[in-house]
Amino acid sequence: MNARRKSRGGHSGRGSSLFPVSVLLLVLLPLLLMPLAAVFVFALKGGPLAFWDAVRSPEAQFALRFSLLIAFGTTLVNAVLGTFAAYVLAKHRFWGDRALGVVVNLPVAIPTVVVGTSLLLLWGPIGLLGKMLVPLGLQPMFRPLGVLLAHLFVTFPYMLGAVKPVLDELETTYEEAAYTIGASRWTTFRLVLLPALRGGLITGALLTFAHSLGEFGATVMVSGNLRLKTQTAPLYIFAQFEAGDIAHANAIAAVLALLSFTIFFFLFRFASRAERQEAG
Amino acid sequence: MSIVLEGLSKRFAGRAVVENVRLEIADGELFVLLGASGSGKSTILRMISGLASCDGGTIQLMGQDVTDLAPQDRGVGFVFQNYSIFQHMTAAENIAFGLRIRGVSRRERRKKSEELLDLVGLGGLGDRYAKELSGGQQQRVALARALAYEPKVLLLDEPFGALDVKIRTQLRRSFREIQKRLGVTTVLVTHDQEEAFEIADRIGVVERGRLIEVGRPEELYSKPGSLFAATFLGAGTVLVGRSREGRAEIGPLALEIPPNMPHREGEPVRVLIRPEQVELSEQAVPDQPALGRGRVVESSFAGALRRVRLRVPRLPRTRQVSPSLPYGEEGLLIEAALPASQQIPEEAWVTLKGWSILQQPSPSLLVADPLTGVRPPVEPARPVAAALGASIVVLGVAEGPEPAESLRERLKGEFESVVSEIRVRAGHPTEQLREEQAENFYDLIVVGATGGQAIRNTPVRRFIREASTPLLFNPAREEFRRVLICTAVGEPGKSDVRVGGWLAGRLGARVTLLHISRDSSAPPRWIRAHLDQGIATLSAFDVEAEARVRQAPSALEGILMEARHGDYDLVVVGVHGPRARTVTGRDDVTLQILDSSNRPVLVVPEDSG
Repeated sequence: MNARRKSRGGHSGRGSSLFPVSVLLLVLLPLLLMPLAAVFVFALKGGPLAFWDAVRSPEAQFALRFSLLIAFGTTLVNAVLGTFAAYVLAKHRFWGDRALGVVVNLPVAIPTVVVGTSLLLLWGPIGLLGKMLVPLGLQPMFRPLGVLLAHLFVTFPYMLGAVKPVLDELETTYEEAAYTIGASRWTTFRLVLLPALRGGLITGALLTFAHSLGEFGATVMVSGNLRLKTQTAPLYIFAQFEAGDIAHANAIAAVLALLSFTIFFFLFRFASRAERQEAG
Repeated sequence: MSIVLEGLSKRFAGRAVVENVRLEIADGELFVLLGASGSGKSTILRMISGLASCDGGTIQLMGQDVTDLAPQDRGVGFVFQNYSIFQHMTAAENIAFGLRIRGVSRRERRKKSEELLDLVGLGGLGDRYAKELSGGQQQRVALARALAYEPKVLLLDEPFGALDVKIRTQLRRSFREIQKRLGVTTVLVTHDQEEAFEIADRIGVVERGRLIEVGRPEELYSKPGSLFAATFLGAGTVLVGRSREGRAEIGPLALEIPPNMPHREGEPVRVLIRPEQVELSEQAVPDQPALGRGRVVESSFAGALRRVRLRVPRLPRTRQVSPSLPYGEEGLLIEAALPASQQIPEEAWVTLKGWSILQQPSPSLLVADPLTGVRPPVEPARPVAAALGASIVVLGVAEGPEPAESLRERLKGEFESVVSEIRVRAGHPTEQLREEQAENFYDLIVVGATGGQAIRNTPVRRFIREASTPLLFNPAREEFRRVLICTAVGEPGKSDVRVGGWLAGRLGARVTLLHISRDSSAPPRWIRAHLDQGIATLSAFDVEAEARVRQAPSALEGILMEARHGDYDLVVVGVHGPRARTVTGRDDVTLQILDSSNRPVLVVPEDSG
């Protein structure tokens, strides 16, 4: 609190900050704020009843539920996998560890459409591994499992990115203390490391969830965009737009935006609380 | 015995960080491992706890061999410098952690943690989290946590290092009290000799991964055996004189050598004089040995005492090793401590109230063959070793483990009777020689190959450039009477004067200090000054020396000309270190001299000596 006041006090006065602040607002208004507002304006244009109807339509309901389900699944799997990866990368030195550290962060840099394509080329009916699965009657692509795979791929770095720095900073003496006291590796992880990682875990989970909820590029490739089967909320919005049903598209867009705001709100609150705790 | 270490060794990336440590610690003893940072003391502690593995040797705790046990199964308590209190647990939960994972009931855990909180003086603070506790309080929690499940031994790694001075002294005192009350065998690691003195039952001094000396604090302070322990454990002056009929001759003084510190007749003796053993007075005190009349050159306030440094005129056949003398210093610098209330005179008689004799220093020579690894020049090295009174360590390097075994057998058969140790390593000759040089202390490495052969081999050339120990080439001479030291003005010219002087002193040789000038005009004053300082440094080694300036078109020609002309038995040159400009060595005078002279050549690295 004190630090904040001090940093403001550093400026030469209220008057001089008026200009840069207003310029920033003027730029941000059409860039960020107005588009967001437009979604809600259009969503409620036909009145709350039309909005409600649009949200209640079976396809929209499926898309929203499916999206949430996939987001939960993705978060759950990547929470475990990402934490494990972070633990291995932070605590073990092995040949190629640096390269692996780069590779696991690669998904952030690859266009999501490319991710979708690569998954199809691996698991699809004519894909490298998919070909072998066809005779067994297995086919992950164009199924919910395919969507989950795509989301796991795309969101993998978020958990890792939130947990690994915490692990890197945590001195090994904490683990060593636990070992000398008699705790096994697993007990030490459960009782010493995991509680210390709580903040990183929550942040990583919220980020993963939010990204999964909004994922479009990879999903559109691997899902086949099959309504009531593999259509996520973003795909539904896009499909409605293409079909000219702007009211339905907007309604779901507004719901999705609200969900994202909520997640962001928690993320923000959590982050600032963690910061305060650290400062205290 | 609670703790028995046998031949404990540990290597990191091929380097020995702990070597052959033997130690027995009695039940209930508080043993302090004392050493500078990087000396390997913490590694020893971590090996006892199981947090670091052993590459050799065994560890016994309470009679049980635990060498191969995981830290979880050793039953040790460990306290870290950074406290390492689990942040998300309260103090009480931290303390009860060991009981919790052993399935002790909640009620019992509570009882035990309260007991321990009281023991460490934190009664009533059990519900606090780490961040609500001060550093000192956190370390008390860490201590209680380590004691909670009644460990066989307690290990502490610089436990007070992160605390400020006042808390540190408080905590030390209460720690010592707790340790004595519980009677738990304890090993504590520190770099702080004051701390070691204050709490230790016994101290072990660690240097370069070796346990150099072990003893009770008073013993180690007043009667250390090694130079390292003497200078690491406190201030003081160390002078080197000569042993004569059971006495140490320091100038006009003849100090008695105790029978437990045997010295060979005529060999160097090191005498330690602690600051409080020095007395300053207006008149020489009869019946007290006097070092001479000294001038105060430095005086600093240190609480109850005042530390004073005096310069006394140099004494014949006496050399100073500690505090190390600045280049060109002509006198001896004696450390004294006086009550702060006493008036500090400008000049005074320096007399000794006491002193102690250190163990006889015995130089050690490594004999190795950097070209093939398998033909160490032991025979040519023997006259030098004999003249120096040095022990010979032979290094053989073979390509792999199996040839190494047969090489060891061969070297044993040939040299066992004339050398003190035979070491055999597997790998590349210069690589392994470099390792050996890094791991052990040698005064000199004797490489037999002629300089010309050596410098045409690229790895050997690089080894010469990067060496940290003086290298002696072509040593085959029966007698060394004249030594030529080629000095360059400036930094590189200092260690070759020191090392050359030391060697000439031990060999009883005369020294010519040579400067090569490229033009015929008289050398500038600063070169004269440099040579004068060099002569002063040499005379401190009790060496007869003269300076000579020779004019020549190049340094190489000048040096070769002088070497031939004066028929020197040894040419001493500096090496300019790894910074030298070209790899081929065409413009490197050191390598050129090695190439074109068939006399013994001593190559002295910039920062040795």
